[in-house]
Amino acid sequence: MKTATKRKTKRQAPFEEEHGAAFAEYTQRGGEAALGRAYGLGRRAINEKKSLMEIASLHHRALHGRLAGLKGGARHQKLLAAAAEFLAETLSPYEMAHRGVQDAIAALRQLNETLEEEIKRIAYAVHDEAGQILVAVHLALADVARELPKPQKEKVGRIEELLNQVEKQLRRYSHELRPTVLDDLGWIPAIRFLAEGVSKRANLRIQIKTTVAGRLPGPVEIALYRIVQEALTNAARHSKASRVWIRIGRKNRIFCCSIEDDGVGFDVQAVQSDGKRRGLGLIAMQERLNGIGGTLSIESARGRGTRLLIQLPAETQNANSHRVS
Amino acid sequence: MPAEEVEVAISSDQDIVLARQKGRAMAVELGFSSGDATLIATAISELARNILSYARRGKISLKMVHASNRQGISIIASDSGPGIRDIRQAMRDGFSTSGSLGLGLPGVRRLMDEFEIASEPGHGTIVTVKKWKQ
Repeated sequence: MKTATKRKTKRQAPFEEEHGAAFAEYTQRGGEAALGRAYGLGRRAINEKKSLMEIASLHHRALHGRLAGLKGGARHQKLLAAAAEFLAETLSPYEMAHRGVQDAIAALRQLNETLEEEIKRIAYAVHDEAGQILVAVHLALADVARELPKPQKEKVGRIEELLNQVEKQLRRYSHELRPTVLDDLGWIPAIRFLAEGVSKRANLRIQIKTTVAGRLPGPVEIALYRIVQEALTNAARHSKASRVWIRIGRKNRIFCCSIEDDGVGFDVQAVQSDGKRRGLGLIAMQERLNGIGGTLSIESARGRGTRLLIQLPAETQNANSHRVS
Repeated sequence: MPAEEVEVAISSDQDIVLARQKGRAMAVELGFSSGDATLIATAISELARNILSYARRGKISLKMVHASNRQGISIIASDSGPGIRDIRQAMRDGFSTSGSLGLGLPGVRRLMDEFEIASEPGHGTIVTVKKWKQ
């Protein structure tokens, strides 16, 4: 019998109560623990979609309460109320901008998902639909060849060979777009397959060194594959590199993957802020990683090659673990 | 008690202040939290500022709205200025005079629950927004 496992949720005190308690603790006794609670409250507020102004107003109510209990504190009540209103006003544009950023992040996530679907569709079209047309062409050619004298038959044979190459190449593109290897064998074999193709096409020597094996949860594998794919595309397209090193390993509880090339490098800050395709590519990589709890660091300078380092807490490798926010 | 409906002519910074004041009073009267009242005042500021920068003059109408199960405030900003040629562009982040990401009209859209914009080049612009009490 299947037993439903219920996640035990600690009953949370209402936000204002918890806030008031933590505030009282800190203002009476101080200490990092109370500040930690404050930080936790900030995270909770974001999750519960509380606006910056609500937080400001809570803060001031708590301050109000504390002050009322102090000798002579009542004198400052009016000043405090005015200060609260004033602060809320100055925070209001930040709240507006904050909502804009949240919208943009949500849109980017959505875009990634849509893109993945689209890629799947194209990979299928290239592989299956184009493949079927090619089969029909083969059959038609065979029909034609049957009625031809030998010298022309040989010419048709050469066309067939070219068609075979087209078919092979299409299959390869389709597999690189959305490798079945990725679903069947995991992201490391998928990256090996991808690297092999890029290496031939772009004349790059790509070395892969890995000290870990095994599968990661599906979304994590797709994200990592896409990031390595983007990195290799960048290396092939912009870096003028001749060699690329991909290293995959694990240090303590952190899972690392680095992609390094010996190319011309670039000014990281300039590219990241220029908003053009390449800058967006880097932002999209970062965003993909945010989605799975990872981080990206980019080391590069003109003439010094490029190194991308992906780091991911090892817990996210466990397919059964869920993110607790 | 404030009226159910108020209109403020906008042609100067002082008028913006008046519109904010009326809007905030109406929001408080309707029982909005002080945080939400601030957001409503902010939306009024942005809409009024738009009127000043693009049309020079116009008006802000504030109205209490009652639906079967909820109450809210509606803000209508109208002008007969040059109008907006490309509304989609005007609604894009970073396009407005503010230049900053997330402010201007797209910012207002995010602060409010409902947002409607109509504009005809040469005939002016009407922006209607509503916020419902949670």
